[in-house]
Order: sequence, then structure tokens, then C-alpha cells
Amino acid sequence: MEAPSHLWFGYVRRSPLILFVLVYTIISGGPFLWVVSMSLRTTPEIFASPYTLPTRLHWEKFAEAWTRSNYSTYFWNSTIVVVTAVVLLTVIGAMVAHCLARYRFRGSRLVRFVILTGLILPPQLLILSLFQILLEFDLYNTLTGLILVYVSGHLAVTVYILEGFFAQIPQDLFDAARMDGYSDFEIFRKITLPIGTPALFTTVTLNFIILWNEFLYAVVLLTEDDKRTLPLGIMHFMGSHQLDVGMLATGLMIAIAPIIFLYALFSETMIKGMTAGAVR
Amino acid sequence: MTPPGWLSWFGLGARQKADVDARRAAPLTLAMFLAPALLLYATFTVYPVLRTFWNSLHTIRPQNIQEFVGLANFTALLFTDPVFWKAVANTAIFTVVATIADVLGGLLLALCLFMGAPMAKLLRVVWFTPVLMSYVVVGVIWVWIYDFDWGLANLVLRSIGLGALQQSWLGDPHTALWSVMVTHIWKWLGFNMIIFLAALYALPSEVLGAAELDNCGWFAKLIYIIIPMLRPTIVNLLVLSFVGKMMVFDLVWIMTAGGPLWSTETVSTYVYKRAFDWNTFDLGYPSAIAVLWFGIILIFVFAMTHLLRSRDRLEF
Repeated sequence: MEAPSHLWFGYVRRSPLILFVLVYTIISGGPFLWVVSMSLRTTPEIFASPYTLPTRLHWEKFAEAWTRSNYSTYFWNSTIVVVTAVVLLTVIGAMVAHCLARYRFRGSRLVRFVILTGLILPPQLLILSLFQILLEFDLYNTLTGLILVYVSGHLAVTVYILEGFFAQIPQDLFDAARMDGYSDFEIFRKITLPIGTPALFTTVTLNFIILWNEFLYAVVLLTEDDKRTLPLGIMHFMGSHQLDVGMLATGLMIAIAPIIFLYALFSETMIKGMTAGAVR
Repeated sequence: MTPPGWLSWFGLGARQKADVDARRAAPLTLAMFLAPALLLYATFTVYPVLRTFWNSLHTIRPQNIQEFVGLANFTALLFTDPVFWKAVANTAIFTVVATIADVLGGLLLALCLFMGAPMAKLLRVVWFTPVLMSYVVVGVIWVWIYDFDWGLANLVLRSIGLGALQQSWLGDPHTALWSVMVTHIWKWLGFNMIIFLAALYALPSEVLGAAELDNCGWFAKLIYIIIPMLRPTIVNLLVLSFVGKMMVFDLVWIMTAGGPLWSTETVSTYVYKRAFDWNTFDLGYPSAIAVLWFGIILIFVFAMTHLLRSRDRLEF
């Protein structure tokens, strides 16, 4: 047959490319498969041979991590902080973006400038005085404090993405709605939000991933063990004297499982979300 | 009976002619839309930034004891602080090497998929995975990979007969910075790849097709056509990557905490240490570092965008 031999020839000609691609795939994906395998093996098994597949799947390690190693606390703290912050960010970010994209008013340029300046502020410029400020407000070592800091810190990128999208919604829709007697809030709720759903999804994914993974603010603003989020919990576990490698791998799996799960379902949305702020 | 005029401030009452203009809203309506965000933003972003600038001119001790010191923090930093300069040198190396590697590597990976590697759709999903993982997860995994006894790095070296090259990768001051850098590059390659891939698919196919008709080899095509047309994307990614690397903290803190012997100390880890780790009990000095570094980042970003921006816009 003609065609297959042709195909075969093509593969040979491109073999350096394919080899490179294969090697990079192993390098980029391999470490995670390794963690999956370790999360189901006990520490003695891992030290006996670190790079073999599990002979018996120790699912009970997840139960153990959950109940005995405080991972359930860390997991729920992370969930509370991230979900609350993402919901708040989406709502108030969309409100600002709607205003900036839709209305002409005095000071709109100033509001846009001040908020978008937040895109270039390095966290180091904020973190030291946030530490002082949260102490003064009695919000240090509270999840509430961390949530407020997260919402404020990610407002800029949220507004940036949403405004860009909202501004493209045809003005005719709004004129017509106004003629029909819609109030400003109805316009926001019944036109901007439904039409802007794709952009809202983008910011939700972006904020969810970044906040779920956030480390610097959390490490400065939370110190009590029962307040720790997952990244801090893992760091704490890693720093303990008798490092239990197997259990740490299980903890890593608990931390990455929600992300992996969502990524398996919505990979395109998540890729789009993570790169949304970068394409200008 | 006509409702009182002030009701229109709330967007209530009879609509006047101007109200029909959908580009306008009552001031109080606007205020209600903007207030929650602006209040939060003023309290937890604007105020802290201004306070950091103010702090940088003071010595800030616990119990809010503050003493004005003028520019003393900055002069101490610039002229008598060897650790700061070590941190600057490390951050500079890290930024330059990792930025270039990330952008070039991302372009290379994107070209692999663009030129028709099999299963490109699946591969870009797999290659992007590290971007989604937290620095803590990535850091822990790579600390294990670099482990002297059972880490994969040394294992591979031993298995291919290069056992002499095995290292305590993170424990040796000569290799620690480079090892952390490799991890950082590994984490972000996929991000650059995706952006380049999108830009490549957005290139006008007529131009690439015309090049093929002219018998242009793929390497010439890359150098003379693709890269010039990708210039805005390249500049964009260089700037983004530069800013990210200048502030690198998480991965360094997790993998080495700045050690051994300051060999991986970056400006950001030094700020953290001076503020919370060393018992110097002064938030003014680290604030000065943060302010100075922010200024330097801004200058470089402006310089990069101005110098690298294409002067003659390509028409196609």
C-alpha cells in the first residue's frame, strides 16, 4: 500500500522532532506521574526503590493524611479563602469593569488608571505594610484578612480582562435596554453579565488557580497552624524533623487534585484563563 | 405629581431626557457600582503602597515606634550592605538567563507543535501542566529530584556512567542558583509556548505560503519571516518574564531559602528575611529595598518596551 509507507517515511524524516517532543513530554509531565505513584506508596517502599510503580495501592494514605496530618484543615481553609475571594472578585470586578466600559463620567480615567496601576505593583511593595495594617485592623492571622488582601490584589487583572471584553459588547443593546426602561442594575445583571459569561469564566479560572497556589501573602499573613492554607501546610510538613516522604507526596496530591481534575475537564478554558492577562 | 429631582441621583423617579442616554448613569448609581471595589482597593493596595514608601524613610520598630531617618536606609543599602549586593547579583543572573531561556524555549516548543508534531493538541495540554502547579508543589518535587542519594538527577547521571558529575545540587553554592533556575524555567516554558503558539497560528498564511513558493527553507523562513512578525509577542513575553523573575521569591524560598552561603539569595528573599526572619525588628530597611527594587524594575520595563518596540511597523 502506498499511503502508509509514505506516512512511515514522513515519521522517519521527522524523527529528531518527534524524539525531542517525546523527551520534553516526559520531562514536563513525568514528575507529576511520579508524585501520583508516590502518593499511593508507603515511605519504606519509596526509599527501597523510588522510581517504581506501586505494587499495592495504598489508598488508606489519603484517609490518613486527611485525618491525622491536618490536611483536611488546610484543604478547607484553602477552599474557604479561594472560593470567597473568587466570588467577591468576580462580582465587584465585574461591577467596576461594567462602569468603566459602559458609562462616561468624570473621573473614569482616574479610576481606570489607579486600578490598572495594580497590574505592575510587585507584592514585595505591599506585603510589609499589609502586615502592619492587618495587625492594626485585628485581621492578622485571620482568613478574612487574607481574603480581603487577595481580592484587592487581584482586582486589577480582573478588571483589566473584564473591561476589555465588556467594551466589545455592542452599545445598541444598552441603548435598546435603556429605551425599554431597564434600570442600571438590570442592565448590568441582564445584559452585561450574561453576555460577558465567557470573560467571567476566564477571570474565575485565572483567579482560582493563582489564589489556590498563592504562597507569599499567606506565609506572611498567617502563622497559626489551624489557619494555614494548603501551600503553607505542605511547607510546614516538609519542614518537620522526621520527614515522611510518602505522606508528603499524598499531601501534594491533595493539593493538586482539584486543579488536575478541573484541568482534565476544562483544559482549554484553563489555558485561556492562565494566559489571558499576557496577550495585549 | 412629579417626583422630586433628587431621586434621579439614585436613578429613580421620572427619567429626564439625558437619562435615556445609556452612556450616562446617576452619580449615586456609579458610586454604588464602584464603591466596594474602590474601598477595598484603597485600603489594601493604595494605602499599603504609600505606607511602604513612607516606611522606607523611617525606622519602624515593633509597637509602632517610628523614627525618621531620611535616606539613611537607602545609603546603607547601597554602600554598606554586601548581602544586598549579593542578592542583586543573583537576581540579575537569574533574571537574564531564565528570561532568555524561557522565551527561546517557549518559542522552540511552539515551533515544534506548529511544524506538525503528532498529537499536538494533547501535547500542548501536557506541556502546560507545570504552569498550573503551585511553587510549593513544584519546589518539593524538584527538591526530591535534586536529592543527592535518591534524586532522579544523580540517578540519571550514575546510570549513564557520569557518576563523577553527581552533585548535591541544592547544597553546593556553585550549583544551587542554577538548579533553582532550571526548575523555574521548567515551570514557565509551557506558558510562553502557549502564547507563541497562538501568535503563530495568527500569522497570515499568505505570507508563509508565499515564502514556500519562493523555495524558502524553514530556517530562513524562521529567521526572516516568523521571528520578525512575532516581534510584538516576543517583546511582550520578555517583559512579562523579566518582571516575574526580578521578583522571584516562592520557589527560592521553598527550595533553598536563599542558602547555602547566600548563593541563592534574591532581592525578594532578602526583603522577607530582613522583615520577618532576622531579629532586626525594623520594617523600614526592607521597605527601602522594596521601593528601590520597584524603581529599578520600572526603569528596565520602560527601557525594554522603548528599545525593543519595532519602529517600522510591519505591514501585512
